[in-house]
Amino acid sequence: MYRKEDIVYRYDGSWAGFLCCVFAAVYSKEQPFAVLTFEQPLLTLFEERTIETETEKARRVEQSFAKKLGPDARPTLMRAFLCDDPDRDTKLLRMLLLGYKVGPAAFNMLGHADVAPVLEMARSTVSEAHQYKGFLRFADYGDFLGAVIEPKNQVLPLLQKHFCQRYPEESFLIYDRTHRGALLHQAHKASYVRLDEEPCFPEVSKEEEGFQDLWKTFYRTIAIKARENPQLRRSNCPMRYWGQMTELKGELQTGNGSIQPVKALL
Amino acid sequence: MELMDKLRILADSAKYDVACTSSGADRAGQAGCIGSAHAPGICHTFSADGRCVSLLKVLMTNICTYDCAYCVNRRSNDLPRAAFTPEELAGLTIQFYRRNYIEGLFLSSAVIRDPDHTTEQMIKTLELLRGPYRFRGYIHAKTIPGADPALVQRLGLLADRLSVNIELPSAQSLGLLAPDKAKTAILKPMGQIARGVVQNKQELAVYKNTPRFAPAGQSTQMIVGASPENDLDILRLTQGLYKKYQLRRVFYSAYIPVSSDARLPAVDTKPPLLREHRLYQADWLLRFYQFEANELLDEDEPNFDPCLDPKCSWALRHLECFPVDVNRAEKAMLLRVPGIGPRSAQRILTARRTGELGLAELKRMGVVLKRAQYFIVCRGFLGAKGGRRQLASALIDPQVFSGNCEQLSLFAPQSWQLPAEKERLCLAAAAREEAVRCIEKRI
Repeated sequence: MYRKEDIVYRYDGSWAGFLCCVFAAVYSKEQPFAVLTFEQPLLTLFEERTIETETEKARRVEQSFAKKLGPDARPTLMRAFLCDDPDRDTKLLRMLLLGYKVGPAAFNMLGHADVAPVLEMARSTVSEAHQYKGFLRFADYGDFLGAVIEPKNQVLPLLQKHFCQRYPEESFLIYDRTHRGALLHQAHKASYVRLDEEPCFPEVSKEEEGFQDLWKTFYRTIAIKARENPQLRRSNCPMRYWGQMTELKGELQTGNGSIQPVKALL
Repeated sequence: MELMDKLRILADSAKYDVACTSSGADRAGQAGCIGSAHAPGICHTFSADGRCVSLLKVLMTNICTYDCAYCVNRRSNDLPRAAFTPEELAGLTIQFYRRNYIEGLFLSSAVIRDPDHTTEQMIKTLELLRGPYRFRGYIHAKTIPGADPALVQRLGLLADRLSVNIELPSAQSLGLLAPDKAKTAILKPMGQIARGVVQNKQELAVYKNTPRFAPAGQSTQMIVGASPENDLDILRLTQGLYKKYQLRRVFYSAYIPVSSDARLPAVDTKPPLLREHRLYQADWLLRFYQFEANELLDEDEPNFDPCLDPKCSWALRHLECFPVDVNRAEKAMLLRVPGIGPRSAQRILTARRTGELGLAELKRMGVVLKRAQYFIVCRGFLGAKGGRRQLASALIDPQVFSGNCEQLSLFAPQSWQLPAEKERLCLAAAAREEAVRCIEKRI
């Protein structure tokens, strides 16, 4: 059994660092009040403990997943870890402590207060990644294709396989503006880089502009006037994606997608 | 003619085709090629009418020899006409695909010269894509009624999904509005494709490298509201198509007047969007909820209730089947509870193996308790004790009364002027009140 302690763990925000927090909790048999990264603001007056990242401890915890929680545990936990939820680490740790107690069945306790939030985080990352598979837009810069995304969660690792196998012969770069990372693909090889400054994309060519115009024309033409439904469009394709979408960028500026404040009318 | 003009004309002519899904085929990418297919399908954008845009949906040409009354491309319509060359269209598809605008191509066509010639043009385009361009993305091709079966076969080996539009829900309406198309000309290729898919599966089981014939199956669409069939007729036809021809999808398209013709609804008729929505809901119930057409509607009540979704409507007529014990009921019964969908039903089945479920657990698993509470019992909960009124107002479809002018106008007489926003919301509230009372009485 784990004692509930009024203590906050602080760690460096890495996956290995988080695994060390799990190690610390299990070995001191305590359930901390919260697990936070160094950057997250202090929320309470509770005592803080800094958890050092040690590869050996991280490795042992990671190995325990398959043994104690079943083969499906690791991918689910990794996906949940890519979520941007501010309580992510606390939720994950709580579920893991339960998992070590009940075993692989923990992942079937879909309605449990400690399990459901973790599955929800994993789902939220996966569903945002799925939306980006459709909403991401490349522009042809001559030597490479370039795209910018502004996701809430860290979706790049979940997009890698999809785009690399879809465009095996293309060189491309997907820049994640929120997390300042990029996925590079060149000569059948993919890699991640951290970019502290936004990459400077070259001017687009006349030809590229031509294709963008063709696409915008197609997009405008395909809508049926008699069925116009701005609300449905916004719920299917939320406006936070529009800024990076070739065909919708323009509508953001003209305010066509703006939300009518219904309450103000009453 | 410029490519831009052709694209505008031929997309405009194709937009009344509903299907734009890219689902049903799974194909990984391959070195040296471009593209892949993802079984659940991917939406790439949503147009101003809120519909998913997944494929580059265009016609090969809109020059047509037929004169179907409901169709915007009919011969007698004064319309700019254009035709893509196979090279132009294949090139455009690849350029759009590289930029991740689309999941692939949806190719249909008006009938230029004759059905065989038209189909050959389409085949040429697809051969360019699959051949020289080494395109492995999604292709949906429409078969042209009356085309040679050998050509349909070739089309099926190039495309992921084939479709034949049934256009109108009965032979009489078809005879009246589309005199050039016979019902047999539509059902014949449908049967051929269905047999082709089955045969191909058997061959694939023996020879792994057999070329695949329409791996994503076939679909169809019909126009709702242009002819007098009721919802029961349409739903029975749908069920028949799923069973007899193993269709993957049946699409409905609310009729949008494109011509004034004595045989058709007047030009200022609003498209019956709510009716179309109810049909899609019922279609879902047939495919994922194990419902039968005859359970949802009958001769006495052959049309769907505008204020209730078909599942809630069924539940209200069968209160004797409830409450359902969430911890013991079979999946089929769980699926009949308003507020429980296929996903939450599956979650319940998984989760209840680890312990008895209560309300808190169900809520965390995504069950909509607002509706479900009146129909279930679970650990520590014996069913909500609401009066008829509460039940009626929990089940009523909130979307219908959201103050959205389009939906509300479906109840209003044709001549009704649409009121200002504020009045509209008041009217919506009043209409909702009226509907709740009406449902209450029926329970």
